[in-house]
Amino acid sequence: MTVSIAPPVPAPPEAAPESRRQRRRKERLAARDSEIPIELYGLPRGTVTLLTSLAFLFALFTLIPIAWILINSTKTQANIFETFGFWFASPFEFFHTFGLLFQNVDGYGTYIQWFGNTALYAVLGGGGATALSAFAGYGLARFQFRGSRLVFFVIIAALLVPITALSIPLYLTYAKAHLINSIWGMVLPSMVSPIGVYLMRTYASISVPRELLDAARIDGAGELRIFFRVALPLMVPGLLTVLLINVVTVWNNYFLPLLIFNINTKYPLTVGLGLWSNRAVNSGDANLYPMLVVGALVTIIPLIALFLILQRYWRGGMLLGSIAN
Amino acid sequence: MPAIELDNLTKVFASGVTAVDRLSLDVADGEFVVLVGPSGCGKTTALRMIAGLERVTSGTVSISGQVVNDISPRRRDVAMVFQNYALYPHLTVYDNIGFALANAGVQKAERDRRIRAAAAALGLSDLLRRKPRQLSGGQRQRVAMGRAIVREPKVFLMDEPLSNLDAKLRVWMRGEVLRVHKSIGAATVYVTHDQVEAMTMGDRIAVLNAGILQQFGPPADLYARPVNLFVARFIGSPEMNVYQAATDTDGALVLGSQRLAFGQGPAPGRRGEPVVVGIRPEDLTLGAPGDPGALTAEVRAVEQLGSELHAFFAIDARPPGGEEATVRNVDQDEALPGQAHNGVARLDPRSGVRPGSRVTFRVDPARLYFFDPATGQATAWPSGQPGQPAPAASASATAGPPP
Repeated sequence: MTVSIAPPVPAPPEAAPESRRQRRRKERLAARDSEIPIELYGLPRGTVTLLTSLAFLFALFTLIPIAWILINSTKTQANIFETFGFWFASPFEFFHTFGLLFQNVDGYGTYIQWFGNTALYAVLGGGGATALSAFAGYGLARFQFRGSRLVFFVIIAALLVPITALSIPLYLTYAKAHLINSIWGMVLPSMVSPIGVYLMRTYASISVPRELLDAARIDGAGELRIFFRVALPLMVPGLLTVLLINVVTVWNNYFLPLLIFNINTKYPLTVGLGLWSNRAVNSGDANLYPMLVVGALVTIIPLIALFLILQRYWRGGMLLGSIAN
Repeated sequence: MPAIELDNLTKVFASGVTAVDRLSLDVADGEFVVLVGPSGCGKTTALRMIAGLERVTSGTVSISGQVVNDISPRRRDVAMVFQNYALYPHLTVYDNIGFALANAGVQKAERDRRIRAAAAALGLSDLLRRKPRQLSGGQRQRVAMGRAIVREPKVFLMDEPLSNLDAKLRVWMRGEVLRVHKSIGAATVYVTHDQVEAMTMGDRIAVLNAGILQQFGPPADLYARPVNLFVARFIGSPEMNVYQAATDTDGALVLGSQRLAFGQGPAPGRRGEPVVVGIRPEDLTLGAPGDPGALTAEVRAVEQLGSELHAFFAIDARPPGGEEATVRNVDQDEALPGQAHNGVARLDPRSGVRPGSRVTFRVDPARLYFFDPATGQATAWPSGQPGQPAPAASASATAGPPP
C-alpha cells in the first residue's frame, strides 16, 4: 500500500456514530500529526519569514478591494466620495440601498431580475458544461478511437482562442440561428468548456483505474452504467472543480451577453451593472453609486458561498481500498 | 467438451511485441489450471483474452464450445479476480459483491440471499456494511473472490490474486481458494509467477516463456519429466543445478575439471559428446571423496531454514550456453553479493556445512536429468526411461490426461 497524503482513519462502523464535527476534528488532528514540521523543511528561518511576509502582502492586495466594497456598501453616494474609503461613515444606508435592488429605480432594469438571469444562465450553462466535460473527459481518457488524439488537440487549441476574436462570426451566426435575445444564445455556448474537458480528461485518467472498468465489464455492466455507477463517483472532486470554474465563468461573463442581448430584462448582472456604471458616470444625479457597490457585493456572495460549500469535497483518497499495489 | 479451449491463441500488440504465441490448451469442467511463467511471459495477456478484455490477434478462445473471440466480456459469463482486487471504492462490501447480480437484473430477494451466502462462505458476513478502505488486505482479497463467486460462473479467472498478501496469509489463502474452487466447481484458470503456488494448487500447470507454451501437465509430471531446460529450472525450489558436461566413453560424467565415475553409465544417450546435465538440489547428498559419483565443491553461502539447509556452492563447470542460461526463476534467491555460486544443495539442517568449507557430494546417476546442449530439450529423465520428449510446440501432447 502506498501511504496516502490524507491519512485514512477508518473508523470502525460499529462504533457509536460520531457527529460530522467530531470526525472532522479527528481528521484535522491526524493530518496535523502527519505533517512535517516547518523546522524540518531545511529552509533557513529568514527565508521562511520572507516568504510568509510576501504571501501575507499578496493576500492583503487581494482582499483590499473586497474590504472596500464591504465598507462602502453601507454609505450614501456623498459619503462614498467624501469620506475615507476604508472606514465607515454614518448614516448606515446598507438596508435602504439593498431594498432598491428589488426596484426598477431609473427605468433601465431591476437588479434582482438580472440576478435571476445570471443564476439561470450559470445553472444551465455551468451545469451543462460540467456534464459535457465529464462525458468528454472520461471518453477521451478511457477510450481510444480513431481521431481521439486529434479531438483532444483541437480542444486544447480552442483554449487559446479568445472569444473576442470570434465576436463577428459569432454574432452573424447567432443572427441567422435566431439566437439573438434568446437565453439559449447564452446557455449553449456556455456549455462548451475546453478547459473543463481538459481538466476532466486529466482527472479521469488518474482517478478512474482501468482495472475498475475491466472489473465492471466482467461483472456485466454496460458502458453507460459503468460511467454512472463506477467512474462518475470517483470523478466527483474533479467534477466539482470544473463545476466551480464553469459557474464562475458564466457568472462573470460580460462579453457574450453584451453581444447577444439588447433587451435589458434578459441582461445578466455583469451587463446590468455595466449599464448602471455607465449611467452613474454620465448622469451624476442618478444616485446610482451606492446601488452599484451593494450590487457588486451581492454579485460575489453566491460565488464565495459556492466555493465554501464545495471545498469540503476536495479531498484525496477516493480510491483508498480499491486497488492494491 | 472442455469448458475453455484455446486454439493457437496469439496476441501481437500494436508495438509489434508478440505477447502470446500460438497458445493451445484446454480446461475441463471443474478443473484448476495454472498458467505460470516469469513476468512478461504473456500469462496475464492470455487470461485477459479469455476474459475478453484483450482483442485476439489470431486463433480462437472457446467457452463451452462456443467461439467467443468477438463476444464482449459482459456476455461471456466469466468471473475474474484481479491482481489488485479492483474493488469499487465507493460501494460497500455488500454492493461490491452484489454489483454483478444487479447488472444481471437478479431479483432483490434472490440477490440478497446469494450475497449473504457468498459472504458467509468467505467469512465476510460481519463486514458487509464496510467500504473497501476499511478492510485489511486479506479481507479485500476475499471481497474480490466473493464478487466473482456470487455469480456462480462457468469460468473463473484469477490473475495473481494472492501476490499482494503477506507470505503467511498467502499460504492460508491458497487453501481457501482451492476450497472455494471445489465448492463452485467452475473451470478455473489461475495466473501466477510463483511456481510454488502453481505446484500446490494446479490440477494441471501450463508453463509459459516468452509467450510460448513450454509444457502443460500435472505438477508431478512437470517436476519429474520437464521437457526442456526452461521448465526444469522454473519448476522446483531451489532451482535445479544445470551444467555443461561431457560423457566419457566408459560412462563417466565430466563436470568441469572433475570426472564423476559411476559403476555403470548414466545413459545420457550418445557417449563422448557434450550434454547439459541437471541435478536437483535434493539429489545431492553428502559423501566421501572416494565414493562413486563424488563431486567436490566449495561452499560459498549457507541458508539455514530450520527444516533444511541450503548450501550454495561453486564448482568449475560452466552453465549451459544460450539464452536459457540467463533465465532465472523470479522467486529464486539472487546470487549473494560477493559470494558467486553456481549450484545449491538441499541438505540436512544438522549437517553442519559452513561457508568456505569444501564438501564432497555424492551424485546418484539415476537422479540425473540430461538435456541437448543445442536445443535445451530434455534427452533423459531420472525416471529411468530415456524419454523422447516432443518439441515444445506440441508439448501438450506429452501431458497426461486431466485428473
